[in-house]
Amino acid sequence: MASRDFRKAEHLPNLRPDQLPASPEELPRQRNGVTPQMHGRYPDYNVLDEADHWDETTRRLVFERVEQTPPVRFFTKAEADTLRIFCDLVMAQDREPKIPVLNMVDAKLFEGQLDGFRYADMPDDRETWRRLALGLDAAARQHGASDFAGASEDVQMRVVEALAKGELHGEVWDEMPPSKTWKVVSRAILSAFYSHPWAWNEIGFGGPAYPRGYARFGIGQRESWEGAPAFERDPVKDTEHRGVPGT
Amino acid sequence: MSRRHELRTLLRGALRPPENDSAFLLDVHRRAVPTERMARYDDSFSVDLVIVGAGAGGATLAQRLARRGWKVVVLESGPFWDPDEDWVSDEAGSHRLYWTDARVTGGSDPVELGKNNSGHGVGGSMVHYAGYCPRFHPSDFEVRTRDGVGEDWPISYYDLKPHYERLELELPVAGDYWPWGDPHRYPHTAHPINSGADVLREGARKLGIEMLVGPVGITNGSFGNRPHCIYRGYCLQGCKVNAKASPLVTHIPDAIEHGVEIRADCMVTQVVLDESSGRVTGVRYIHDGAEHFQHADAVAVAGYSIETPRLLLNSTSRRFPHGLANDNDQVGRCVMVQGAPQVAGRFPEEMRMYKAPPPEISSEQFYETDQRRGFARGFSIQTVGPLPIEHAQHVLGHGHWGRALREYMRDYNHWYTLGILSELLPLPENRVTIAHGETDQNGIPVARMDYSQCENDRKNIAFAEQTLHNIFEAAGAQDTLVTSRYAHLVGGCRMG
Repeated sequence: MASRDFRKAEHLPNLRPDQLPASPEELPRQRNGVTPQMHGRYPDYNVLDEADHWDETTRRLVFERVEQTPPVRFFTKAEADTLRIFCDLVMAQDREPKIPVLNMVDAKLFEGQLDGFRYADMPDDRETWRRLALGLDAAARQHGASDFAGASEDVQMRVVEALAKGELHGEVWDEMPPSKTWKVVSRAILSAFYSHPWAWNEIGFGGPAYPRGYARFGIGQRESWEGAPAFERDPVKDTEHRGVPGT
Repeated sequence: MSRRHELRTLLRGALRPPENDSAFLLDVHRRAVPTERMARYDDSFSVDLVIVGAGAGGATLAQRLARRGWKVVVLESGPFWDPDEDWVSDEAGSHRLYWTDARVTGGSDPVELGKNNSGHGVGGSMVHYAGYCPRFHPSDFEVRTRDGVGEDWPISYYDLKPHYERLELELPVAGDYWPWGDPHRYPHTAHPINSGADVLREGARKLGIEMLVGPVGITNGSFGNRPHCIYRGYCLQGCKVNAKASPLVTHIPDAIEHGVEIRADCMVTQVVLDESSGRVTGVRYIHDGAEHFQHADAVAVAGYSIETPRLLLNSTSRRFPHGLANDNDQVGRCVMVQGAPQVAGRFPEEMRMYKAPPPEISSEQFYETDQRRGFARGFSIQTVGPLPIEHAQHVLGHGHWGRALREYMRDYNHWYTLGILSELLPLPENRVTIAHGETDQNGIPVARMDYSQCENDRKNIAFAEQTLHNIFEAAGAQDTLVTSRYAHLVGGCRMG
């Protein structure tokens, strides 16, 4: 599929004949700042360039998020290994640079920063995450793998898909409803990923706007400092970097 | 437009509402409420009234009674916010604005609590509500008589009308002339709206559905020492500008000026009764880990739909073995929420829905019962303006994760979202109880909320959702995503 199609609605999964998303590799590479995996739909826009215009409290919080990856303190090493793979699959983070979703979730659970409710038929969120790790292994074993971390990507994807659809059975899943588990853990994952300014770069979000505010909100308008979408790939940088993991 | 109304509109930022100087008592150079002159009462001094909760109910009650000479202490479980220091332009960083203590949610259609509907701190959940300020319709007070569902109220719309008019000056409310329910106008003119609201309003018009701007409790132009809205879009994260109304800026300053003490970080655990006289003597509360007792001649419990019943149910005595004021087993029953599915639509142009306040336009055209729809009562339609985390939850709610989720999120700037507020019926089994055996960090038994929909509720939500799809189609949306959810809490301690 040609890169220019990202402009059009037809590139969206619901509208594609196979319902599958277009490969993000067709997008330009991020040229200013960082996006997760460097996919650049707004390749020249870096929200952090605007930080001088933010209030101090917000600036401190957002920069801490970028600059300090919290250590894993809540999960055991084995749990963290399994759940990191899981979090990266849910967010399609298949190479560096990655937003450290698992570490961010771990920090929240370690600090006991819970969301204010527990489903009557579910354990505490902290326990839910621990049992999820066991449950992923159990589900992977049903596909003949030794555990989730050791399973093929195909099996891992099938396990996550079954969890998202609430279709896991046996062991952990007979006691903990998979559909509610998915709600609890996806909430934490999305909250971590889309709180990160790298994700804001990727989606072209204007970010914090106090005290400056927004003034241009008519159709197709943007502030002078907001990023424009761009779909043309840089013939040198993009070909050089594509397909080379970790660059 | 009358001459008088025209003049009021011109002078709106300078006019003082009768008997509330809050907007003029705020500091011009900082957002925090001035507390230097706040009264302090000793625990042992029996005040005229202790109010539990400094939110929409408690703060306004305190302000009104203080103006009439009452000595009032308001005990608030959360902090006394300083918007400059405590609040951020950030979704995930606003976690402290919500009630995040332990609660259990059950029933066949459980309600997500926390950030969705529960506040914490001075100002209550209005600190993080979107800002819509609709009035009830006269029909809301007589649904049993008119529609054969729910319950009639012991008061009518016309008992409340003068209070609406007064509050709309105090918040103040901005919006178009309102033709629905009891037609009325608002003191502040309608705000400008963003591209998405514009396109959706046109789409709705093609179907004969009228959507109007507002009504929102957001200053349009400055109001006293409250600055004008800067359209930054973070209404749900606490307004750092002081433009959006919450009791923190609309009633607390005037309450303090008239002798009210706002005592923050105080979790009330029990309303205490004198067993012989049957009268309250005060409340037990926990501050900094230590238990205190505030003496009072009267106690008002204003803790919203979950904490109010929880406190009453936890306040047992010989006289009230099943909880205070619960002789008839009504405390906590018939707690209500609104069905709030959202539909997002994709447009060829960039919409950038994070700009401007999330509450932009709304419609009450489907508010009343229409027999042809096959269910009683109705719904309203509102804009939502989700920021990235909220929109990601919407995309995932539709069923996309992994690469598809990322793809939809990269397309974020092309999307706009409408939401529904469906009137769901009060059912006795939808109730707040005490989750026995489960306690919070203070050792106090936590609340459990059970919620299940009835057939009328499901029909209402399905019809409303279809209406949104129709509007998006008429507006020219290329793709839509839908997610189911609830919004708001209502009731829990019924009147009468």
